[in-house]
Amino acid sequence: MPLSVIKSEGPRCSRNCFNCPICTAPLATSSLNPDPEKRAVSGPWVLSCGFCNWSTLELGWQFENKKNMHQQVAKLRNGGQSRFARTPPTDFAKSGGSEPPSETETPFVSELDDTPDAAFASFRSFYSSQLSASNPADPLLTPSGGFNYSSPSSLARIMSLYTGRSFGKKDTGKSSLMRETSDFSEGLRIVDPTCDDEAIRKLRTEGWTRTASVAQQAGQHHASNFVANLRPMPPLLRTKRSKRCRACRHLLVKPEQKVQSTRFRIRLVALNYIPTISFKPLQPSPSTELPPIDLKAIPPLRPSQFLLTLKNPLFDVVKVTLATPVQAPGRYSHKVTILCPEFEIGSNVDQWDEALGDGKSQRSSKFLGLSKVEYAGGESGRVAEAGKVWEKGRNWTTVVVEVVCAAITENESEEDEDVLEIPVFVRMEWEADLEREGKDEAKTERKEKRELAYWTVVGVGRVGKLGAASTS
Amino acid sequence: MPPKPRPTARGDYVETETGNKVSRKAQLYGTQHIFLSGRAVIQPSVCIRGDLRPFAPADPASSTASSGKGTSPTYATSVTIGRYTYLGTGSVLRPPSRLHQGAVVYCPLKIGDHVFIGEGCVIEAASIGDHVYVGKGAVVGKMAVIKDGVKVLEGAVVPTGMVVASGSVVGGQPARVVGEVGDGWGMYEGMEGGDMRELWRSVGS
Repeated sequence: MPLSVIKSEGPRCSRNCFNCPICTAPLATSSLNPDPEKRAVSGPWVLSCGFCNWSTLELGWQFENKKNMHQQVAKLRNGGQSRFARTPPTDFAKSGGSEPPSETETPFVSELDDTPDAAFASFRSFYSSQLSASNPADPLLTPSGGFNYSSPSSLARIMSLYTGRSFGKKDTGKSSLMRETSDFSEGLRIVDPTCDDEAIRKLRTEGWTRTASVAQQAGQHHASNFVANLRPMPPLLRTKRSKRCRACRHLLVKPEQKVQSTRFRIRLVALNYIPTISFKPLQPSPSTELPPIDLKAIPPLRPSQFLLTLKNPLFDVVKVTLATPVQAPGRYSHKVTILCPEFEIGSNVDQWDEALGDGKSQRSSKFLGLSKVEYAGGESGRVAEAGKVWEKGRNWTTVVVEVVCAAITENESEEDEDVLEIPVFVRMEWEADLEREGKDEAKTERKEKRELAYWTVVGVGRVGKLGAASTS
Repeated sequence: MPPKPRPTARGDYVETETGNKVSRKAQLYGTQHIFLSGRAVIQPSVCIRGDLRPFAPADPASSTASSGKGTSPTYATSVTIGRYTYLGTGSVLRPPSRLHQGAVVYCPLKIGDHVFIGEGCVIEAASIGDHVYVGKGAVVGKMAVIKDGVKVLEGAVVPTGMVVASGSVVGGQPARVVGEVGDGWGMYEGMEGGDMRELWRSVGS
């Protein structure tokens, strides 16, 4: 969608897309032609919803043409009458001054149109003509009524507004009086004291079912209380945004310019620099009588052990220190202990892969990594020990976390209150190899010590009910 | 007895030559019209209706549009499934149908690579892109188009004919765009929308 169209039409689709005003599903253009053979080619056409069976027939709308739905819909008002009661728009410029007719004034707006859009458009053109008449050399206002910030004179004006002193050009000091709107054609709408009577009568006769829900009203340009006044809305357009670092303004994400493309020109994601954290239950060995841990119902009041694995994406060995509050925050204080809070994770480089010049054989490297696994207590003694790493691979390390969940009282628990989430503070320290990063300025010192620390939250699962756990 | 050319896969999954792992309990209809690109996982109770495909045009008047091809249908495959795509237990894949000149016509259903489809979904989309995550119990309506890198939340009902732009998160009944996926979507193994090699490897072994 070109930028100019968005500027004039707003961020909604201006082609043939419409959403159902009742249920927000997209509307399809379908033919009402009685002959099934001709349905694909000839009308009359309606917009119909495949989800709730609503169609524009309920508004009394039928379309002659399949194309250019947006303009056809804009011309219609609910009930099927044309919005056209076209009279040539009165030229405010004639009375006001040299203001050319506004570009933004949409052609179908006429003075007999009583929709809020039309009132706004006539208001706007009236006041912009008034403004230009009273202050013809106002550099802030463009002919279309918008503000022009780019010109140096308007900048000077803004500066004088804020500093309170005359900045550059002197203020002319005289400004002729502006008059207010006095007429329907100028956008003046006088509130009729009996205008709500109709709505009240409708409410009485038609009842709750014919009133629009809050969500349905929110989807409309102009909220209306009745279903019969809802209009199909063109869907909002999607945008592609690039993102910058908050601190140093470095571009982090930049999507490709092409509309169809979903790729990125720049994509710097934190996970390329910080360890990937994964969390899974350490199932008790079958010899013990403990039941296996169910992540949807973690047994309360009993220690459950979990494996916390950190995988290093960096090409340097990283020293990690983990910390967690003794009691997880929230209404229920679950006790969390990381049995081995200090450990190292190996680098992401694989000697074999490097030697063979094959960076892609991830699978083989993984097996190599597995063969190097060191167990804390040998194969047989699979008992988590404080201060010892549970498992270690090429670029990952696993430690054991012990959680004692608090009992959750059933009757007063709110939604998602039984979710167990553990905040973890991760501090990592490593010596970055400057040579690899291509920074040759520091020739005397090839390694640079770096440090990074952050909070993160690990989602675990849901805490089970106390009664359910005791029966199992 | 002569030795078999390939050792038959024991267990619950049949592994094809291209590495697809198909559960023995899956129901595949019209298998000659289902195309698996390789390394796909099909879990038990999955139902794929490959038999719902456009029929060869019966009368010569309508076949003149696709002249030269004779009686053969315009496309032979009705369901195409990409690499490392995972179909969760009990999901149903059905090519979308529509009324065309008073008759029901089926269109092909195409699913991209690294797509995760959760348990008990019903998929009738026209196409699903790459790195799409469809949550448990979601319904993707007829002729819907889901572009690359989309997350469909659990229990969502994507209405008929909806086009979901890439990078959106959709949810609700009917589904509407409720957010955007993160910038790292699809980059990492083992995460939603990410690389699914690991998941494929872990199945059936």
